[in-house]
Amino acid sequence: MAAVPLIAVRDLEKTYAMDGPPVHALCGVTLAIQRGEFVAVVGPSGSGKSTLMHILGCLDRPTSGTYHLDARDVSRLSDDDLSAIRNRQIGFVFQGFNLLARTSALENVELPLLYAHRNRIAPAERRVRALRALGAVGLADRASHFPNQLSGGQQQRVAIARALLNDPAILLADEPTGNLDSRTSIEIMEIFQRLNAQRGITIVLITHEPQVAAYASRIIQIIDGRLVTDLANASHRAAAAELAGGGHG
Amino acid sequence: MLRTSVRLAIRALGRNALRTILTMLGMIIGVAAVMTMVALGNGAQDTVEQDVRSAGTNLIHVNAGNYTRGGEESRIATGLGAATTLTPADAEAIGRTVAGIKRIAPGVRLRGWIASGSHRFYGQVLGTDVPFASMFGWHFDEGRWFTAADVAARRPIVVVGRTTRDQIFGSGAKAVSRTVTIHGQSFTVGGVTDTADPDQIEMAFVPYTALQDALGIAYLHTITIEAVLAGDASRIAAETAALLRSRHAAHINAAVEKLRRAGITGNQMPQFGAGAAGAPDDFTVKTQSSEALTKGLYTSVAAFVLANMPKLDEVNLAEMNATLQRARSTMTALLAGVAVISLVVGGVGIMNIMLVAVKERTREIGVRRAVGARRRDVLVQFLTEALTLSAVGGAIGIALGFVSAFGLTLLLDWPTRTSAAGVGLAFGISAAIGIFFGFYPARRASRLDPIDALRTE
Repeated sequence: MAAVPLIAVRDLEKTYAMDGPPVHALCGVTLAIQRGEFVAVVGPSGSGKSTLMHILGCLDRPTSGTYHLDARDVSRLSDDDLSAIRNRQIGFVFQGFNLLARTSALENVELPLLYAHRNRIAPAERRVRALRALGAVGLADRASHFPNQLSGGQQQRVAIARALLNDPAILLADEPTGNLDSRTSIEIMEIFQRLNAQRGITIVLITHEPQVAAYASRIIQIIDGRLVTDLANASHRAAAAELAGGGHG
Repeated sequence: MLRTSVRLAIRALGRNALRTILTMLGMIIGVAAVMTMVALGNGAQDTVEQDVRSAGTNLIHVNAGNYTRGGEESRIATGLGAATTLTPADAEAIGRTVAGIKRIAPGVRLRGWIASGSHRFYGQVLGTDVPFASMFGWHFDEGRWFTAADVAARRPIVVVGRTTRDQIFGSGAKAVSRTVTIHGQSFTVGGVTDTADPDQIEMAFVPYTALQDALGIAYLHTITIEAVLAGDASRIAAETAALLRSRHAAHINAAVEKLRRAGITGNQMPQFGAGAAGAPDDFTVKTQSSEALTKGLYTSVAAFVLANMPKLDEVNLAEMNATLQRARSTMTALLAGVAVISLVVGGVGIMNIMLVAVKERTREIGVRRAVGARRRDVLVQFLTEALTLSAVGGAIGIALGFVSAFGLTLLLDWPTRTSAAGVGLAFGISAAIGIFFGFYPARRASRLDPIDALRTE
């Protein structure tokens, strides 16, 4: 754990210049996340956790401060370079699943490979890899289904398969269980914990629900754009055991 | 990547089939109008070319001798009368010196009996040269026209008009290789021309060299000149006249001297001043239009008409065709108007539907950007979609264009000719419209902030 952190942000600030007075979404966040960690970022809405996630996900750039991803300063990269990083190193899972409508699960999962410009992949190979990713989330038999033929949990699993396709270093999940019932939420958390444990994927989970954050091994709390607490969560919940036991809590 | 984009585009458009087709309607009509317009233009051009070729409006006739008088009643001669001074060398010199000549054919004329066995026919025989058939765009019912080698070797070959053939050999009978007698000489039939000209159809055509031999002469009766441009005929006629005047100066002076010595004076004396050098001419040069216009007129009236129509050769058949053309060009202008308006409307329609698509699919754009699509990937995606939309509209428009061109010919009897160039133009226009009107929405899509796009409901 003493190696160079996968994510290292220093004095991160983000200010939105609105019509009125400027809004400070982040006011000097410094944070390091090691490879293989499962971190939950919690905080009330408007606390700045979404802004943090957008910056960590290379969807946005900080107003000031630095962001080193895998030892590379990405805070001043061009739009095209950020796109390439999102494509190869980051997988997103959203609250609303964000699958393309009227597009099969398989084609939804293939999507990132369409934009793998530096490493072009033949359509047949795309198919094989997408099927494998669907298998990893237990949906190999739903490959040709459209999103509207899948349940919420299944849709989220397709989204996770899509996020995993390019073997990213980080999985960024923004309220991934916000639209799901509690049982399905546990299923999703089970997948996250399994990916984290078996494949060593670093997971950053943004949530406002403490019981969801409880599955992470480290919990960071943000309030008003500042990092308030940063605690290891050694006695985190184990989703697999809860599912096997038929309950949780 | 391109194949994927096109496939994606087709699918995206297929999802709203009705909307897509309605959007394409403007394009379809515009492209069809362009196609029809080009087809009409081609057809009209073909007709004019055909008319000009078959009527030979570009022709200039040089005739040996000059019988022109000051007026029919005045008995004042301004020409030298018959002459034997026009030669193949003159024809060769005209062809070499005067610019703007497409073809030239020396000629010898004979009115007489054309006979085969007991059948005979009194008609006109023209001794001419190889280019003559091309001047009138002839084809041959059977056999062929004679060749330069036939002319050079002075071979007795004859090509006959249909009436001549019918009179001598019987209606529709085979004529090639049979023998006819002209002016006591045997000629072998080489071909039958398909000319429909009421004069030419009852004539016989032989190499001018062969007719010279038959008549025992070395001079020509006529030279037929074809101008490259109809509007050039007057100039060519004037230059030809000037050239012949200088070549024939010695003959003319000698002839005038002879007349003087014979004591012809006053009214009987040919007028000096008809030729540019002040001497009378021993030839006449006429453009076809002046011939057509003055046919059957008193000389004085003809002179008046010609003097008052200095631009006569511009009033040729091609120009007369312009009356017919005017009707067509009105149609063409109308179609061009329809084309421009509907193409603009079609283009705006495409822009509008693409803007709607960008708005509807903002979230999709956000997702694509999140998984690594660059701005230009999004741009290309929406541009491809606009292009596919316009190309499909263009293709349907082209098909409709073929139908409407065919319909115009069928219903209004207007000549149309669809061409690869017309199809290419139509397709190019639709592609250009797709790119032009598709660019703004596509750029707008590519400029969306991924975070805002993802938040859109």
